[in-house]
Amino acid sequence: MSLETGRWYPVASAHDLPHGHIYRTQLGLHELAIWRDGGGGVNIWEDRCPHRGVRLSLGAIIGDELRCAYHAWHFASGSGACRFIPAQPDRKPAAAIRAVVWPVAEADGLIWTGQDPQGAPPVLGAGEVLRAIPVGRGADSIANALSALPGLKLVLQPQGPDRCTIRGIAESLSPRAADTALEALRRKLEAAPC
Amino acid sequence: MLILHDFDLSAECYAVRLLAALIGVPLQLVRVDVYPGRENESDSFLALNPLGTVPVLESEAGLLRDWQAILAYLAIRHDEGCHDAGGQWWPRENPALIGWLGLARDLANSAGLARLHDGMGVRVDIAKCRASAHRLLGEIERQLWFAERAGQLWLLPGDQPSAADIAIFVHAVLCEEGGIERLDYPTLRRWIDRIRHLPGFIPMSGVFAPSPGSVTP
Repeated sequence: MSLETGRWYPVASAHDLPHGHIYRTQLGLHELAIWRDGGGGVNIWEDRCPHRGVRLSLGAIIGDELRCAYHAWHFASGSGACRFIPAQPDRKPAAAIRAVVWPVAEADGLIWTGQDPQGAPPVLGAGEVLRAIPVGRGADSIANALSALPGLKLVLQPQGPDRCTIRGIAESLSPRAADTALEALRRKLEAAPC
Repeated sequence: MLILHDFDLSAECYAVRLLAALIGVPLQLVRVDVYPGRENESDSFLALNPLGTVPVLESEAGLLRDWQAILAYLAIRHDEGCHDAGGQWWPRENPALIGWLGLARDLANSAGLARLHDGMGVRVDIAKCRASAHRLLGEIERQLWFAERAGQLWLLPGDQPSAADIAIFVHAVLCEEGGIERLDYPTLRRWIDRIRHLPGFIPMSGVFAPSPGSVTP
């Protein structure tokens, strides 16, 4: 499915982002690299170095910068601006050189983004964040099945025509029981004809 | 000096080199040109190991021809912290160690074979290998997620990694070379990062060492 402009989508759990790690995911057909700086600020960037297209999620976090694994260009937390090019140590990188930055919201234990999202992300309320469950079916085709699980507040991360990830929180179920129920749901959805 | 008959692109050989480096045991490497040379099928190598598999370790305990037996040998005989109840790398009182090593062998026979198929032309049922690998990786992901949420960073309880982590790691970290994406395994990716940042970690072709100065996750 294509993404709806103006909407927030969940793309990670807050606990997926320990400082020093670069989390990798997909929203629609967009590959994203997501990382937290030392102050806890979250960056959601297109997973592609503007220099040679290598995945930024292969890189490293050094201080409050992400360094690409290929030529070690430094990109700053927040703006995504290239701060330093090791092969040209005496030159200030042009302002146009930057990672493609996506909007960020952190709410109810999830990390959200979208294309020009409006307002705040949907409120899930209090509860323990569930393990994300990838499903080999498109988000459109499974949205209706999610309401069948009481005690859970679920949201979908669409990932192309035949993939999505179920995320959410457990309102009244234990995370283990929720996980078992969601895995059963996943098997049922994937067994059904496309 | 321990002599390791080694092929640099073999995941199982890498497991041995990596554990030896983490423990701090020097190895003398003898290169076996498995691909493209098929030296492991030569008469001289088959005299050493009739199964034609690498790695093979020559030690004072004799010849060890199985990668997990070599991991056990290094962890038990060469880790100074190892005692009767086992040590960091070989917690022998925990039956889950055997379970994880079995799973690592299953991973070798699925993700590992898929990589040999894509990179070295080994003939396998590639769809089946990839499907089996995803099922195994999904289960590792699930267990690691619940462990991590409970504050446990490694496959077995305790605050240090074990041979189980190393045996699973080498196949998990190379799986994308067999067309098996890690996109759906975020906890596995974090655990891979933690292993890469262990003191003494060594890379291999396709596995990056951490950048100097990078934050340890």
